[in-house]
This record gives sequence, C-alpha cells and structure tokens, in this order.
Amino acid sequence: MQPVREEESSSIQNDPGNCSIPSGDSSVWADVSPLLSAACTDLQEGELIHGDNFNLFAAMSALEIMDPKMDSGMVSAFYSIDEAIESGFAPVPISSDKTVNVESIIDIMDHLLVCEATWHMGHSLAQTVFSCIYVLRPERTSSQALLHSYCRVIRATCRAVVSVVSDARTNEEEDLLTMTYGLPFNGDEDAKGLLLLNAVEETICRQLRACKATSAKRRLLEELEPLQTNPHLEEGFCKALLCRIRFRKHFLHALNCMRRPQGRGHELARKHIASCISELQSLLESAEFLRSNTVNNGETEIEERTTASGRQPIGFDSTLNKRLSAPTPPRAIKLLSWKKAIDYFVKLLHNLDQICAFSLEPDLDFVLQFVIQFHKSRPDLVSRAHLQLLLVQDGKLYGRDTFLTICARLLAIDVSKNHGLHLNEYILQLNQLMINLLKILCANTPWQRRKLGKILNDWSIFNVQMGINVGQLMQQDTSRSQKNGDRSLFILNHVYGWIEEQIHWVALRFLVLGFELDLYSPSEYCMVYWYMYIILWKLHEKARLRVLIVVHSEERKAKRNKEYSRDMAREDRISLWVLLIQCQTSLTQGLTLMIAALRNEGMCLKSQGPFNTENEKFTQHFELLQKASLPEYDAYESFSKSTAHASLDFLPAYECFRDAQKMAKDIKVGYANDPDKLAEVRGIEQVAEHNVIAVNLLCQDRSLKVSLEFTHHPYFATAIVRRS
Amino acid sequence: MEKSIEEKEEFDESEIEYTSYAGEHHLPLIMSLVDQELSEPYSIFTYRYFVYLWPQLCFLAFHKGRCIGTIVCKMGEHRQTYRGYIAMLVVIKPYRGRGIASELVTRSIKVMMESGCEEVTLEAEVDNKGALALYGRLGFIRAKRLHHYYLNGMDAFRLKLLFPLKPRLPQIASQDQTQQEQENFTA
Ligand SMILES: CC(C)(COP(=O)(O)OP(=O)(O)OC[C@H]1O[C@@H](n2cnc3c(N)ncnc32)[C@H](O)[C@@H]1OP(=O)(O)O)[C@@H](O)C(=O)NCCC(=O)NCCS
Repeated sequence: MQPVREEESSSIQNDPGNCSIPSGDSSVWADVSPLLSAACTDLQEGELIHGDNFNLFAAMSALEIMDPKMDSGMVSAFYSIDEAIESGFAPVPISSDKTVNVESIIDIMDHLLVCEATWHMGHSLAQTVFSCIYVLRPERTSSQALLHSYCRVIRATCRAVVSVVSDARTNEEEDLLTMTYGLPFNGDEDAKGLLLLNAVEETICRQLRACKATSAKRRLLEELEPLQTNPHLEEGFCKALLCRIRFRKHFLHALNCMRRPQGRGHELARKHIASCISELQSLLESAEFLRSNTVNNGETEIEERTTASGRQPIGFDSTLNKRLSAPTPPRAIKLLSWKKAIDYFVKLLHNLDQICAFSLEPDLDFVLQFVIQFHKSRPDLVSRAHLQLLLVQDGKLYGRDTFLTICARLLAIDVSKNHGLHLNEYILQLNQLMINLLKILCANTPWQRRKLGKILNDWSIFNVQMGINVGQLMQQDTSRSQKNGDRSLFILNHVYGWIEEQIHWVALRFLVLGFELDLYSPSEYCMVYWYMYIILWKLHEKARLRVLIVVHSEERKAKRNKEYSRDMAREDRISLWVLLIQCQTSLTQGLTLMIAALRNEGMCLKSQGPFNTENEKFTQHFELLQKASLPEYDAYESFSKSTAHASLDFLPAYECFRDAQKMAKDIKVGYANDPDKLAEVRGIEQVAEHNVIAVNLLCQDRSLKVSLEFTHHPYFATAIVRRS
Repeated sequence: MEKSIEEKEEFDESEIEYTSYAGEHHLPLIMSLVDQELSEPYSIFTYRYFVYLWPQLCFLAFHKGRCIGTIVCKMGEHRQTYRGYIAMLVVIKPYRGRGIASELVTRSIKVMMESGCEEVTLEAEVDNKGALALYGRLGFIRAKRLHHYYLNGMDAFRLKLLFPLKPRLPQIASQDQTQQEQENFTA
C-alpha cells in the first residue's frame, strides 16, 4: 500500500474554474480525477491510500458507498418526502370511510406517542416523531381539523422540549435530543395548534354527549354530525380520542408552566400533570375497545405493538429523513411499544411533579438532599433539564437567591449589611463553583461522577488559595474591632470552613455513585469502604462544627432579640443529618474491618491479577480524590496498615455495627414523617443488624461461605452467610 | 450448518494454535469473525487501520486450521500516557469458556507491556458478563461508565488495567494528621 505524498498530489494541474466554495487560506482547488483513475487501476477493493493524519476516527467515519449498513444516501423506500406523498403513502383524508379515518388517526396518535418517548430516550427526532409525514407537512391536513391540530401540538411540544434541554445544556447527552437537523419547525403556526385542538375537543365532547343522549334530546342535537358512521362505535371512538387530545393539551401546558421563572408556574403545572396522568390511564382503558375492532393477530404480539389497536399506523417512514441524519450511519432504531411508552410518560410526569412539589427553600442542605433523592428514580434527560433550569437561573438559586445569601444562611450569619461582599473575588468564584456543581448534579449519573471527580480539584485549589488569603487578612485585621458593622472577614472565614465540608460532600457523592453505576467489583469493596470511611469521618467533623456555629449564633440572636423566631425545624434537620453522617461513618468502618478480616482469613477473594496488584487498582479508583488532597496523606499506605491486621477474633467491626445500629434507631425517630429518609435509615439499620449476626456466626465457624450483597441498602453491603 | 455454530466443540486445549497477524490472508478471517459477533458495522478501513499499524498486537486462534478467535488492538500516546487499547475480541461460541479469550488478551497485553505502555483500556457493554468477568480476572477495573455509549442506547464501562507503578516517592503529607486519622480508624 503506497501512501500518497504531498509532491504527488500537488503536481496535479490546478483548475480554479468557477468554484463557489472557497478553498481556504493556504490551499487551492485541484482536480483529483487523474490521481483517482491512476489509483483505481492499482488498488484492490478495500485497499486504501492514507496520509499521516489518517486516524481511527477517519477510519471509522469512512463509508462504503452502496452498503446499506453505512450509506445513508442510499435510496430506501422513497427518494423524497414529496415522492412519498405523490405515491399516496400519506393520503389526506386517510380514508373516505369516516370510521376508517378515525381509526387510522388514533393509530397515528398512538404511534406518535411511542415516537416521542423513543426520542426522549436518546434517538433522533428525525427518525422518530418526524418520521411521520403528517407531522412533517402539517399544511397538507389543514382541512382535517383533528389530525391537523394534533400534529401541530406535537410539533409545539417537541419545540418546548428541545428548548428546555438546550437551555440546560451541560454535556453531550443533550446533543441528540436537541439536534433538529433543519427539520421544519414553525413556531407561530404550531402555537395556534392548541386553540384548534381545544375547538376539536369541544366538538367531540358534544358528539359524545349526542350519542349517549336519549332519542328525545338527540333531536335537539340533530344538526351535529357524528364523529363517524357506525353508531355502535361512536361512544368508544369519542372517548378514545378525547383522552388522547386532552393528554396532549395538558402535557404542553404543563411544560409551559414549568418554564415560568422562579417556579411561579409550579402549582398550575401540577394540576396539568395530574390531568395528564389520569388521561394516560384512560388511554390504557381505551385499548380494549380499539383492539376489539381489529382482526386478532396473536395476543402475545400485542405487547410489542406501537398502537393500542395493534395495527400499523399510516404515513410513517423512519428512513424519510435519513439524509438529514448523516453523517451518522443509518441505524434502524427500535421503537418502544405503546405500553412501554405510556409507562415512560407516567414516570416522566411523576418526576416533573416531584420538581414542581419541591418547596423552593433557600437552603443548600435541603437542595442537595432533594437532588440526590430525585436521582434515585433515575430521571430521564427531560426532567433533569427542568430541574437544572429551576435550580440555576440567572446565576442564582431558583433565579432568586445569590449563593452568598445561601452560604450565609447555611452558617446562620447575616450578610445584609456587608454590601461589598458580593463583589469579593472569592465570593464571585464560589458563586461560579456552586452554579457549576448544581448543574453537574442534574446531569446523568455516569457523566456526573466523572465531572464531580474533576471539579474536586478546582474546589480544593480554590479552598487552599482562599485559606491562605483569608489567613493573611485575619492577621492584619486583628486590631480592627468587629463591632463597626463590617464583618466581611469574619464571614469569609466561616465560608472558608464550610467549603471544606462541601468538598467532602462532593467526594462522598463521587464514591457513592461508583456503587450506583456498578463500578466496583466485590474484591474492591474493602478499599472503597475504607475511603468512604475516611471521607465521612472528615465530613462529619466539619458538619458538626457548622451545626455548633449555627446553634450558637441562633441562640445569641434569640437572646438579644426576644421577638426573634428561631427556625428550630431547620436546626433539627441539620443535626439529624449530621447524626446520619456519623452513623454511616461507623457503618463503613465496620464494613472495612469486616471485609479486611475476611480477606486476611482467606474467606473472601483477594484482588490479584497476573499483571498488577491491589495498589494499582487503588490508585486508579481514587486518583482524582488524591489529586485533590483527600486525604492529605498517602492513602494507600494508610489503608494497607489499617486493614492488614484485621481479624475475626479481635473485632472492632462488631462494635462499629452496634454503634451504627443504635444511631440509626435514634435517627428513625427524627425522620418519622419523611418516608424516603425513613426507608434509607431503616436500610442502614438492617445492614448493621445483619452484619452483627454474620460476624458472630463467622467467629464460631470459619467453614461458612460468605458473600456480600446489597439486599438492604444500595451501597452498604450485607454479609450473607451460608453453609457450604 | 446453523446448528454447529451453537454446539460446543470437543477439543483439547493443546490443539489450539495461536499466531500473531501475518498478512493480508488473515484479514478476511478476522473480519468475518468480528462481523458475526459485534453489532457495530465496521468498514474494512477500520480493520486495516489496526492490523497495518499494530500487527504485533493482533492475534488469531486456530483449531484444526479453522480460525476460532481473534483480538485486535492498538497503542499510542494519550494525554501524556502511553496506553494500549483493545478494540475487538471474539471467540466463536463452540469454543467459549475454555480460556481462549484469556490467552489472546494475555498475549496482546504482554506485548503492550514490553512496548512501554503504562496502561491498557477498552470499552465493554454493561451487560456483557462474559467479557467483564474475563477482564476483571486479569486485573482491569471499571473506571467509568459511559452513558448511552452504543447506538442501541446501552451504556458501556471503560475498563482499565494499570501496570505496576514506579517506586513510590515518600509523601510530604502532614505527619500528625496522618497519625490522628489512623489512630481514630483502628480505634
Ligand atoms: C467475551 C468472549 C471473548 C470470552 O471468550 P472465552 O474464550 O469464552 O473466554 P475465556 O474462556 O477465556 O474466559 C475467561 C474467564 O472469563 C469468564 N467468563 C467468560 N465467559 C463468561 C460468561 N459467559 N459468563 C460468566 N463468566 C464468563 C470466566 O470467569 C472465565 O474464567 P473461568 O472459565 O476460569 O471461570 C466471548 O464470549 C465472545 O466472543 N463474546 C462475544 C464478543 C464480545 O463480547 N467481545 C468482547 C467485547 S469487549
């Protein structure tokens, strides 16, 4: 294989011709035909001429023309949308038989719902919703109010979703969803769809009333034409259409309400969300009726279908926009089933409702706990984008509170008098770090973990710099009294202390996400729990200090001002949280010692491969933490030392589990009114309890088989003991 | 014909021959094996890219003249480290579970190590239990999860194997802090 050299290619005659595409600064257009024909006689199929800059990406992007697996330019069913329309692929009206027409429209609606869900889950808009000719060319159906307005509203909804997701843009995940590849969106026309759809809904309501009415009343309504021609089916069809239309309407309203600034539309949005969920229920109920009109083609298959009736919808071709989706190779995508699509929407709506129900307290502890709780149901991109836009607007929390006031509140200090502080360079930087952190916490968990690992370093550099600076200022400032109103330095010093706590919180989240993402194998649990223990221990220390500061300053305020109402609920909340951290600290300490003992006694697999040792694995897993000086000493050495002598006979592990169990009991009382938290603490309690039993059993009989499982908690393991 | 693909093959491990990539005649063998097993369509250029630049990292396993397994890799500079990368690994079904893949991977990794690589990486689908177990036994960790990595929407793990580190320099950490926390730990 002969690589092409510069000299050869430049010897080709220049023919500037009348090119409309500029060739760029230091290059000219050249005719490559002679080179290519010379190459053709030399090359066998599949051989290649490459330059030095030919890399893997170039190799993988190479297409084999006319290979249907790769060539998106290949003609499939239709050459163009126009050709498809001319061939009668998407007729208007769909049928002259009004019953068939209505049936077909319902199928289209169902299939569109499936397309929309599939799009949300990460496939291109072009291959999903816009594979429908009626959606692509709404102007064709303007005489068909029902289909027309429905398609317009679908388009408006897609636009709303694209706008939320692209406004929240943080990583590459959003690309596919927001890529509209020049698809035709017409905002104004589409916005009118909702009005039209309302009118259509009105008419169908009357048609439904008419068909249910007694014959006497019916005469009154005589001028009203029925929906279709078969009187026996009228009621069923009307109902099936109504729930579909209403779902669309409420869904678009809900999305729009959620975009109002500072969460002002949340209350209304919740009403629309509740309606959406109930309409989806009606959708499911309509399936029986719709299916009864179809010739039965196998019950099992129905589960896989994209429509309630089980029929293929008319007017869809996912290859229509293939050329728009180049350069990605033309992959056939697998659509969800209609049932799965409904499940998807129900879950999405629940997630949106969670967001709307969130009370926008200016309290960072509260926000962080909410975000973590929110992630537990694995929310999809659309709901995460909404959450992010709610949390961070105009560089403020909820578009309302600056991060300086938020921090001050965390520490129960008053910043209203310190006007210069919000311009302080550290406070400005902190603002940026906080915005960044909140955005990251709304991203998908794999990306979130990577990013958290990286920002730890930013935080820790910032922390060190601020520490030095504040320290110097404090020394210079000892002469000045704090009574003159400007307590900026005092505040900065407290904020500095809090940042350290926050860094450990981020580190803990990073470690915990490793469990959620299934990144640790059982032979690595020991080191992971050890690391969690170290981080938790420090987090607990810092957080406890903050609680003391808060309580102290609140007490002072209350003493000074009899009118001052202390937010006791909040004080209790953080104290409880600190106790939970302490409980987890004991638990992870116990787990570390127990697993280390099992390893030392040969009852548990050691991680040993032919090419490296535990040391290398440790380094790889915790590289980013160590870079951020968490902890500040040689962690591996410390880990090895503290676990090397753990044994089942001498067992502080036992004590640790007992402590954790006791604390969990106390915490449960405090969380009596919070079912999510209660469940979490109960899980921790059970882990501790079962591990106490397991350790006892193992001490008595070393021939028992033991495995670590997550039966009670997603990331604290329970030792399961079996007779072999 | 179809059936024999699924059936377990009776054979003795000593009958398996391993060779490194030795030229054009091996290319169609590799391509047909990989095309059968992996979902992504690779163009012939992708294969050539690997086997021409790193023939020494590509191995094939034969049984009685039939190619039954292969591995395709590369290595190069990546963010200040020199790293190896395993691009494709396949053993056909009748021959699985007998250590053939482990042998192929081991051979490639040895060459990478000798060539000065500091680490080896690859991606595997999160539900590819076989591949994950295999690499786990060889010392790979799951370093990252990659969201929707494959076009079918599936996540992937980035697996990494770090070769033993150079001798560790004594740390200049604050001594009393270390002590304090250690004491607390083993309390
Ligand atoms: C993955 C693959 C290459 C494994 O080939 P193989 O020759 O069966 O692997 P080995 O026999 O060397 O297996 C080594 C170890 O991996 C583990 N393993 C392999 N396949 C496994 C499976 N299906 N389930 C659980 N563990 C498995 C076992 O621990 C095994 O060790 P053991 O037999 O001593 O218990 C083969 O299944 C394959 O070609 N799959 C399709 C292509 C593919 O997924 N490639 C990897 C892309 S990253």
